[in-house]
Amino acid sequence: MIFLPSLPCLATFLIPYNTVVVATGVAAIGFAAGVVGCFAVLRRRALAGDAAAHATLAGVAFAFLCSGGRRDLSVLLAGALVAAVGALGVLVLLRRWTRTRDDAATAIVLSVSFGLGITLVSGLTARGVPGSAGLEQFLLGHTAGLTRADALMLGGLSLAVVTIVVMALKEATLVAFDPAFAAASGWPVGIIDYSLVVLVAVMVVVGLPAAGAVLVTALVVIPPVAARQWTDRVGVMLLLAGLIGLAAALAGVATSALVPKMPTGPLVVIAAGGMLVISLLAAPQRGWLARWLRGRGVKRDWAEGRLLTAALRLEDEAGPFTHAALAARAPGGRGAQVAFKTLVATGAIRATEGDVVPVESRMASTHRLASTWRLSRHGRDRATERARRMAVWTEVLEVAREDARGHLTMDVPAPETVIEAVRLAAIRASGAEHG
Amino acid sequence: MFDSGGMHLWAIATAATVAAACALTGSFLVVRRMSLLGDAISHAVLPGIVLAVLAGGRPGGALVFAGAVAAALVAVGITHLLRTRAGLAEDAGAGVAFTTLFATGVVLVTAVASRIDLDPGCVLYGILELVPFDTVPVPLPGPGSVEVPRAFLTGAAVLAVLSLAVVLCWKELQFTAFDPDAARAAGMPVAAVSVGLLVATSLATVASFEAVGAILVVAMLVVPAAAAELLVRRFHVMVVLAITLGVSGSILGYLAAWRWNTNAAGMIAVVLGMEYLLAALLAPGDGVVARIVTRESLRWRVACEDGLALLWRAEESGVSPSQTPRSWFDQWTLLWLAFRGRVTLGEGGLLTPQGREEARVIVRSHRLWEAWLGRNVELPLDHLHPPAEWVEHHLGAAVRERIAAEVGGHDADPHGREIPPER
Repeated sequence: MIFLPSLPCLATFLIPYNTVVVATGVAAIGFAAGVVGCFAVLRRRALAGDAAAHATLAGVAFAFLCSGGRRDLSVLLAGALVAAVGALGVLVLLRRWTRTRDDAATAIVLSVSFGLGITLVSGLTARGVPGSAGLEQFLLGHTAGLTRADALMLGGLSLAVVTIVVMALKEATLVAFDPAFAAASGWPVGIIDYSLVVLVAVMVVVGLPAAGAVLVTALVVIPPVAARQWTDRVGVMLLLAGLIGLAAALAGVATSALVPKMPTGPLVVIAAGGMLVISLLAAPQRGWLARWLRGRGVKRDWAEGRLLTAALRLEDEAGPFTHAALAARAPGGRGAQVAFKTLVATGAIRATEGDVVPVESRMASTHRLASTWRLSRHGRDRATERARRMAVWTEVLEVAREDARGHLTMDVPAPETVIEAVRLAAIRASGAEHG
Repeated sequence: MFDSGGMHLWAIATAATVAAACALTGSFLVVRRMSLLGDAISHAVLPGIVLAVLAGGRPGGALVFAGAVAAALVAVGITHLLRTRAGLAEDAGAGVAFTTLFATGVVLVTAVASRIDLDPGCVLYGILELVPFDTVPVPLPGPGSVEVPRAFLTGAAVLAVLSLAVVLCWKELQFTAFDPDAARAAGMPVAAVSVGLLVATSLATVASFEAVGAILVVAMLVVPAAAAELLVRRFHVMVVLAITLGVSGSILGYLAAWRWNTNAAGMIAVVLGMEYLLAALLAPGDGVVARIVTRESLRWRVACEDGLALLWRAEESGVSPSQTPRSWFDQWTLLWLAFRGRVTLGEGGLLTPQGREEARVIVRSHRLWEAWLGRNVELPLDHLHPPAEWVEHHLGAAVRERIAAEVGGHDADPHGREIPPER
């Protein structure tokens, strides 16, 4: 983050200095919200954060009322923070003292506190309190109203939050992934957990001017979900979530500056949503595209393997075989047709010598090229290897105990590496049963 | 056209009607633990409504309802996809889906606000106060017609449809809500019921949209139902109570907003919240007050009985009870025991005959339990006292008799002290 202070000077030639400061501040907010949000998402606190966000409006209105109508952003946000933490406290109390379940408790806190905020704001507006009309900007976010000092304060707070998260990374990760282990090792899980939730509340409040009470939770939830698609490592996820949040915030601020009267919050959220869609589609391991390709590869491999094994048996029984016989032995629709073509093209299955039917001009189906086929040497090797693996796997699954079967997957490259262990385990188990 | 009172009456009638429709739907959401679906749907219908209005639908018209239901189904579909395909937790998935859809709706509204009859403020907190101005003539049975607010007609129609659906499908709704697996095994269309509930929630949301806006609909859906759930145990009673709470809350909320000149929808949410708070505090059996009373009265009884037993043991061993230190709490229990005629004050307290009787029973319970533990549980001698110290307050005469029979002829506890007789 060292480059951030120097960024404004560089860009001053192109854009007004104030805009650059505000954009930098909002970018820092987006980054911090993404980072903190990772733990909110991992700990399933996404909607508790939403309840806290909706409650901030009431806090802002109260702070406005108490401070005598001055619109000092730090005072308003202090009120918002009190309300956000209060809302989380009420959630804890409801869980402890009533039999209302978590989902209903969240919805109650969210809607009632928001109703209180609306009541206060519109009561102030109806009485014509000067400056109260501006409070509505906290509903959907409006960065154009931010001063340079405000932006610097918000950016500074964001950096402070990121620093805290980075310093407590080990503890937070431990609690997020294995709270039972953390508790058993003597970590104060409750305190760490509450601190993380409070950090989320702080970030919700800091993000309030940028995204508004209604949508600020998206700033905390969407970037981590997008980042999660790309990586399995927490550190990388934090960084990616931060960067995605930063990019979304910048995109939202830029767009809202171009379109008059357009609130910032929805645009930031849509930008983040767009990045999430890209992540869901294109991420290398968990992305939809990668999975689809992998699935197709597995299906092809499976279809080819079935054909090869069937061909091997046919050839061993009666020499060269016809396509019809092969199709009868290993039926499989279009997938089998494609697999047969691939096998012919890769030379695993060859036409019997002297049996080549002349290729007609629009020959659609490869299998009509010849009347009988045989396996090439390399096709025979592939078929034998697959038949052997199938046999070993069948044996593994037969000797393996019921509860062990779930752990055996076809991903194990060579079944013979596990079969001894499985046999041993089976023998031990039967020994334990009888002895 | 209207006098002021009549206008307020129409606004109140509209609020009460949509509150009833929401509470009816919300009861099912709450018992099925799907409250957050209400939250998600109320946000997600916005782009559907805006697009329908852009396509030429009138607010409250069939096209708008269709658009809203479609948008709700899209939101739920996206949440489902995120959960099954991307392995996302349900809350994060819903959070992603509805915020994005709502943001899209807000941007659409802001971009085309000049062309359509919606603005961001109305989307967020409704315009209940303006509902009576948008009327359509409804022909009366006799000659002439009466001007009725459109929002009221929409709300009433939705309420009628939903009530009819609930009455007709009551058995299915109840069965699938409380035991979906058994319902599936019994051949009930569980998935169809879920989709139906989804559509019902969208309808209630759209009907309430104009009156209270997207977010406060959640209050109408969830809060009365959750409050009713705290108060009663039987489901059909809960539904009726939820509707009652929703209707009364919206009437009170409107009046309060009128009195203090503020937003009616917000005030309705606040009043509903207060109703929930009262229910949580005063619920019979397990409300906060009932729990505290139960706990503290037990604590008080235990302290009184401990005080009596202490005096009895002091008499037994011939020690003056004034030598044992007492906390202020125990001082109060001593005063109470004196007031009840169990002890006389002075010398740290002396047992009256009646107090001696009661104290003997307590000490008997204590020592019987120690004797029973000593026989049947392998515990070292110094571990027998703490459990007996707790159990002595909970043994009835019948249990004491059984333990005495089981322990047999022993007249002493494992510490060698005599077990006092029952009477």
